[in-house]
Amino acid sequence: MKVLTSALLAGALALTAVAAKAETLVIAGRDGGYGKALSLAVDAYKEKNPDLEIERLELTGGGLFEKVTIAMREKSAAYDVIMLDDPWAVEFMAKGWLADLDALGGGVDEDFVAPARAVSRYPVGTGPYYAVPFVGNVELFAYRKDLFEKFGLGAPESWTDVVKAAKVISEKEDGVSGVVYRGQKANPIVTGFLPILWAHGARIVDADGNASLDSEAALEAMNLWLELKSYAPKGVETYNATEVRDALMQGTTAMTIELWPAWAPSLDDPSASKVPGKIEIMAAPGQVQGPAPMLGSWLVAVPADSENKDRARDFIDFLTSPEMQKKLALEVGTPPTRASVYKDADVVAKYRWYPNQVAALMNAQPRPRITQWSKVETILGDYLQLALIGQMAPKDALAEANGKIARALSH
Amino acid sequence: MKSGRLVPLLFLAPALFLFGLLTIYPLVRVFLLSFFYTEYGFSGASFVGLENYAALLGDSFFRIATWNTIFFTVTATASEVGLGLLLALLVSKRFPGRFIVIPTLVAPFVLSTMVVTAIWRAWFHYDFGFLNNVLRAGGLPPVAWLFDPDIAIFSLVLVDVWQTVPLTFLILLAGLQSIQPEIYEAARMDGAGPRQILLRITIPLLIPHILLASLLRSIDSFKIFDKVYALTGGGPGQATETLSMYVYRLGFQFFDVGMASAAAVIMIVIAGALAALYAVRIMKGESHAG
Repeated sequence: MKVLTSALLAGALALTAVAAKAETLVIAGRDGGYGKALSLAVDAYKEKNPDLEIERLELTGGGLFEKVTIAMREKSAAYDVIMLDDPWAVEFMAKGWLADLDALGGGVDEDFVAPARAVSRYPVGTGPYYAVPFVGNVELFAYRKDLFEKFGLGAPESWTDVVKAAKVISEKEDGVSGVVYRGQKANPIVTGFLPILWAHGARIVDADGNASLDSEAALEAMNLWLELKSYAPKGVETYNATEVRDALMQGTTAMTIELWPAWAPSLDDPSASKVPGKIEIMAAPGQVQGPAPMLGSWLVAVPADSENKDRARDFIDFLTSPEMQKKLALEVGTPPTRASVYKDADVVAKYRWYPNQVAALMNAQPRPRITQWSKVETILGDYLQLALIGQMAPKDALAEANGKIARALSH
Repeated sequence: MKSGRLVPLLFLAPALFLFGLLTIYPLVRVFLLSFFYTEYGFSGASFVGLENYAALLGDSFFRIATWNTIFFTVTATASEVGLGLLLALLVSKRFPGRFIVIPTLVAPFVLSTMVVTAIWRAWFHYDFGFLNNVLRAGGLPPVAWLFDPDIAIFSLVLVDVWQTVPLTFLILLAGLQSIQPEIYEAARMDGAGPRQILLRITIPLLIPHILLASLLRSIDSFKIFDKVYALTGGGPGQATETLSMYVYRLGFQFFDVGMASAAAVIMIVIAGALAALYAVRIMKGESHAG
């Protein structure tokens, strides 16, 4: 009898434990400002769903790419929601690693800005939605209004104007470099170069998917980009986001060819910046073509192997709702992806550059929609830096990069 | 099998199983993968024979990474063992404050590499770094520690030396303390001076310890990754790209697992040859001693 009672008790306890096991949502996302934004959204979502457990991984860009890529290749159900940089999404969608969000219901409405919506679909711009834009990042350009006025310079309308202004200011203003940018290998150096390359009408990969860096236009873009180094601070080859932001906030540079919306709020903060209100933010200028700001959207998606897809979809809808986008913009400075939020009076009152930012976002160009982008970006980054430090002639660097990119595209 | 042989095998079985699972199996798998084009494992892999090896040998970046790794290994190991020996000789004698000096010398070794690189990244800063401030204060021009392609690898060696000299110092100090004082007394009675004692007694008797320190440091230096990743990312250009960084990029950024495996096989061969060289020397020493 005792044995039977014990067995029944054990069985009842086991059943209770199974029943009590809370539903869990696992989110793999970025660290830093985006991590703070996700954390705010998670807290708000948990308030609405008190029985739900949410586990959140905060990772660097590289760490996130490695972890989620490996999980997708292993067909792991480890994550229910993942954050993706838009160029990674092509591979994830093409290889069937993401759940079709149209099939999960909810749709992706037209309030999301068009370029960010296009990269959330596969085939790009036409197929079903496999992701939803979460961060409306676009690469911007910034210059010191006061210094431009002091030396009678107008807002740069072309990259040639940028070089001229950099020369004037670095020669005439003590302790101020003409321009600053990220010179570190891989993604940072490529990101700064792309708007210049595109504005010259050059492309890394042409419309037929072939490597196309061995062009005159690419060489002109490279030469102009290298000319900027003469007016940049010493050591710009190792600069990343921190150094660029420091130079801007310390007032030791007149321009940056690359400014991300998340960096912008601190520029106007008198407790952090020595030049509050003096930095003008706009879309990068054009050259032979009009401005070509780079799209840098972060998307959120549901892995195809997630065992909690409906809940994940519901969280994504909550995260990207107009109310949450506004809250995240106001509280953490997360750039919205919804056009309506950019028009919101509270948001515009807080961030004076938002009209320019949304204009840049509407015209933003995505990086090539190829599955091999991370490989191509690394190859280009290697050769850009070899040219930047003078170990390779610009023409040779482009030719070798083009050859390696062609091989990468063949797999 | 005789029971006399079976019992030791039974005791060794768990260790052999783990060795097979965690060392032999991955090695065999990496070797096999090096003959395939694959983005991950064997599923969907296509056999390419020696193509990955040919592509590696034809890649100038691979050749640069190999050279940088060998250069770093030799320079760092020689500096660490040399400096460790010098410090051990200085500290082996009793002197006031010795109990403070030894822990101070060992301190950098207890720091994690990420902390060490964060400290040195700040010290290396061209405009505000401690090192350039010292140079400027002494009327000397600042140095582009991390962005001059000719200097960056030496900066990495400097950081490695700072962090790991305590290890070689401790090994060699232990070696020095194991030498019987009677040998020195006899040498002095025979009229040997300090220089002769150092070169004819101390150094020869320390050879096994020097070899051990060199083996440990050269194997560790050969697989240098974290300091490069955190301080230079392999740059400027390819100036500090090492084989570990090269394999990491192929494997985890490009997911070109076949090529990464081929590069790893070449790394294993070089590291194995290096280890074998030391092992033979050490075993020779032991058999002479025995």
